[in-house]
Amino acid sequence: MKIERQRYILFKIISDNSNIITEKVLLRAIWQSIWKYFGMREANKIGLWLVELNTLKTYGIIRCSHITKEVVISALTMINEISSIHLILSPIKTSGTLNKIKKFLK
Amino acid sequence: MPYFESRLRVNFDDSNEVNSMLNFCEKLNIRNVILEPSNNIKNLSKDRLKIIEHISDINIHYRLNLRPLTLNMYKKDLRKYSKYPCFLSIETSIKEIQIKAAKDSRVHVLSYSEPDNMKTATLGVISLAKQNGTFIEFSLAPIMIANKGSQSRNFRLLYRFTQLLLKIKPNYIISGNFKNPYKLRHPRNLSSICHTLLGMPLNKAKEGFSRNVEALLKQVKSLKNENFFQDGIRLIKEDN
Repeated sequence: MKIERQRYILFKIISDNSNIITEKVLLRAIWQSIWKYFGMREANKIGLWLVELNTLKTYGIIRCSHITKEVVISALTMINEISSIHLILSPIKTSGTLNKIKKFLK
Repeated sequence: MPYFESRLRVNFDDSNEVNSMLNFCEKLNIRNVILEPSNNIKNLSKDRLKIIEHISDINIHYRLNLRPLTLNMYKKDLRKYSKYPCFLSIETSIKEIQIKAAKDSRVHVLSYSEPDNMKTATLGVISLAKQNGTFIEFSLAPIMIANKGSQSRNFRLLYRFTQLLLKIKPNYIISGNFKNPYKLRHPRNLSSICHTLLGMPLNKAKEGFSRNVEALLKQVKSLKNENFFQDGIRLIKEDN
C-alpha cells in the first residue's frame, strides 16, 4: 500500500470584511462545501487540518492528503459566502512541505 | 502555463465597472483576460481599447459575441463584424445557425455558455465544428448559483456536455463567464472543478483554460488584418 503523503494549500481570502472569519467558522464552511459537493466517500479520505489562518494578512494554510488535493481546491473554490459575507477563498499555492509555503509567503 | 479567463463581460462605457473587474482579476492573480462588451457596443475602436489596456498590467484581449435570432440576422452580423481585430463567437440555441457557424471560417468560437444553449448541443454540430477547426466554448458560471435545484440541473447539463466533448475531441475552450466579481475564480481552480465535479482529466481541463486559448488567439491573429482601425476607415498606401 502506498504511504499517504500530505499537501499544504495556501489560500487567499478576498472579502470586504475578513476580520469576522474565525478558524471555527472557516472550517465549518469548508466541511459543508466538501459534504455538499463530494459527500462521505471523499470526505473520509481528506484528513483536513487548518494549519494557519491570518485574517490581517488575508491568507490561510490547510493540510490535506495528496490524493484529495484537487477535491479540497474545488471545495474552497465553490465557497461563495460565510456568515452572509461574500468572500472568495482562492487557492494560490500547493506544496508538500510547510517550509516552501512559508518561503513563498515571504 | 499561462491561464486565461476567456470571457469577462464588462460595460466598456463604464470605467468604474471595468476598473473593479480588472482589480478583482489582479487580486486573484489572473494575468490574462479576454474582455467582452456587455453593453451591446460592437464598435471596438482602437482608442477605447487603449484606455482599457492602460488601467492595469493584465494582458487584455478582446472578443465579440453575437446572438443572432434568425439566419438572415446571422449573415448580416457576420458580414459586419468579421473584420474586427478580435475573435468572434456565436451563441445561439437555433440549430440551423449552429450548423452554419460550425462550417463558417469567419466564426472562431461556437459558444454554449448558457444552459439553454447547452441543451441544444448535438453530436453532429460538434463533429462539424471539429472538421472545420471551430472552437467550442462552455462556461462554468451556471454552477455558481445559490438555488440548489437549478445548480444540480446545470451540473448535469455540464457533465453531459463535457462527456460529449471528450468523446468527439474538438478544439475547445473553457471560460468562467461570471458577472459578479465575487463569483470570479482563478482558471487553475476552475480546472480543478472540471476535474473533480465534471469528470474531465486534469490535463484536458487545464488545456481548456490555457493552451487551447493561446492556440485560438494565435489563429485569430494570423487571420485578422492588422491595419483595420474602425468600420468605414481604410488605410491607403502612399505612392512614392
